[in-house]
Amino acid sequence: MTKPHRNTIFLEEAKILAHEHYAGDQHVLRLAAPGIAAKAGPGSFVHLTCDASRPLRRPISIMRSDRESGEVQLLYKAFGKGTHLLAERRVGERISTLGPIGNGFTVDRERKRPLLIGGGVGIPPMIFLAEEMRRTGGYEPLVLMGSEVPFPFRVRPSQILVPGIPDGVTGAMPLLDDWDIASRLCSLQGYAGCHEGFVTDLARHWLDAMDAAQRKQVAIYACGPHPMLEAIAGVAKNFGVTCQVSMEEFMACGVGGCAGCTIQVTTESGPAMKRVCVDGPVFDAESVF
Amino acid sequence: MTTKDDKMLSTEFCGMRFDTPLVLLSGCVGFGEEYTRVEGFSNRDVGAVCLKGTTLEARLGNAPHRVYETPGGMLNAIGLQNPGARYVVDTILPTLDFEETRFIANIAGSTVEEYAEVARIFDDSSVDAIEINISCPNVKAGGVAFGNDPEMSARVVEAVRRATTKPLITKLSPNQTDIAASASRCIEAGTDGFAVINTLMGMAIDIEQRAPILGNRQGGLSGPAIKPVALLKTHQVYQVCRPHGIPIIGQGGIASAQDALEFLIAGASAVGVGTALFYDPLICPKINAGIAEYLDRHKIPEVSQLVGSLATAPPAPACGN
Repeated sequence: MTKPHRNTIFLEEAKILAHEHYAGDQHVLRLAAPGIAAKAGPGSFVHLTCDASRPLRRPISIMRSDRESGEVQLLYKAFGKGTHLLAERRVGERISTLGPIGNGFTVDRERKRPLLIGGGVGIPPMIFLAEEMRRTGGYEPLVLMGSEVPFPFRVRPSQILVPGIPDGVTGAMPLLDDWDIASRLCSLQGYAGCHEGFVTDLARHWLDAMDAAQRKQVAIYACGPHPMLEAIAGVAKNFGVTCQVSMEEFMACGVGGCAGCTIQVTTESGPAMKRVCVDGPVFDAESVF
Repeated sequence: MTTKDDKMLSTEFCGMRFDTPLVLLSGCVGFGEEYTRVEGFSNRDVGAVCLKGTTLEARLGNAPHRVYETPGGMLNAIGLQNPGARYVVDTILPTLDFEETRFIANIAGSTVEEYAEVARIFDDSSVDAIEINISCPNVKAGGVAFGNDPEMSARVVEAVRRATTKPLITKLSPNQTDIAASASRCIEAGTDGFAVINTLMGMAIDIEQRAPILGNRQGGLSGPAIKPVALLKTHQVYQVCRPHGIPIIGQGGIASAQDALEFLIAGASAVGVGTALFYDPLICPKINAGIAEYLDRHKIPEVSQLVGSLATAPPAPACGN
């Protein structure tokens, strides 16, 4: 009998190539993990051992993956004991890394104007997804990001005009601008060039400025805190656009064995508990909210 | 050489041939195929796989959060999420490869009758044995009520015994006053073997929210933190089992070959691995290799000869003045 799920996740003792630290306890970790890099996709994650003293692995989404160099890049925020210990790990050390895990985002090839929304540690998979769309070509994405700690990059006025976005909201992520992908930033902290409000405000402005035919080209892909995803799901419903959300939950095994990371979803046969690790982490927003 | 070829690790358990003394524990490996996602993992590296706890009807399980790391271990409160016995037998078992290892059903229920009914469904299936989960700490009005009481435990075992001719393994709770008394009653009731122990009940609190972290408020503690408790309970149950030739799967915090050897010496015929698999999905071949190395070094031809070999009197002091 065929068992296509077998041997799809790799365990690697990944060497730390770089570990950069940013304000707000945010960290960018570059790992040499060729097996994982070869198979990673937008929305997939790694499950890694932060430190020997906290051996239960932590799931961290992949921001970038380079098949040729065999590198994966992660952006994480130190939140609990495990990730604080991870932040202390140094270049040259090795981290036990399991991945890539999960069903990531499924790009809707019919909808050429994707809206990518990332909040906080939900930003990294959006970078991955934007890069994938750039590689594929033919898409005109807008990336919206929200953060209540300083963004882990130098905010730069965008060179790309986006209809519907209020005047003065020009701050963008330089990397995306360099890729010719429009982005806009939101925060309640009053950062220069950023919208002082929620990502959903900008999403509504952008969708409002479209006609019905344009809206049919929109698919929303989102990752971030639960209340943000719930609000985005509401916007998607109001405007009649499709929406995929990447979920998170405390996790133990990361490979579908323990059913520790489940969330409740609605299926055709009623409510069900689905594992974030291997059934997700990406779900249709309508099944979750 | 693969583990399967290493005859010294092969052992018999309740009439089944285990290729190695390792058993993957119920609730840690889904319905047997989940860990095969990991390259390098093989069910052939273990003697048996205990499938996820199964009830008569499908259960959704507990609300999140269901797992939380604690020093030296973790808490879980899954709540017996499963698709129901009929679905497991009709849809899942046919997808398993019984050439690779032995598969053991793990059954649970809210009433004695439910246990018996689930056992009857598995009796007419391909599973190699049935493990009775009389000690699940995470379901209200469920297993733990039976597992805490030797008489109730025995009633469940009796009812299941009547329902099946498959080997029966009773999973004992550490959350009871006298585990040996319970083991004794379960032997009278017809169990063929034991799994010792299930998780210890525990709790974790979010001090900012002043709320329990687990959706179920409480959960089962597993991992290295519970190993000394599990080792003692295994040894206590072994005292009861020895005269009857009833074997034990010793389990609780095993994360290395040394841990596994301690349980074998304490009286376990096989050893369970659960939480350690979350730490290192490829730990089983390492434990096998460590056990084989030990047997070689001590010139013990097969693992069964190590079982219950704990010295009966304390050794003489190394230095005698």
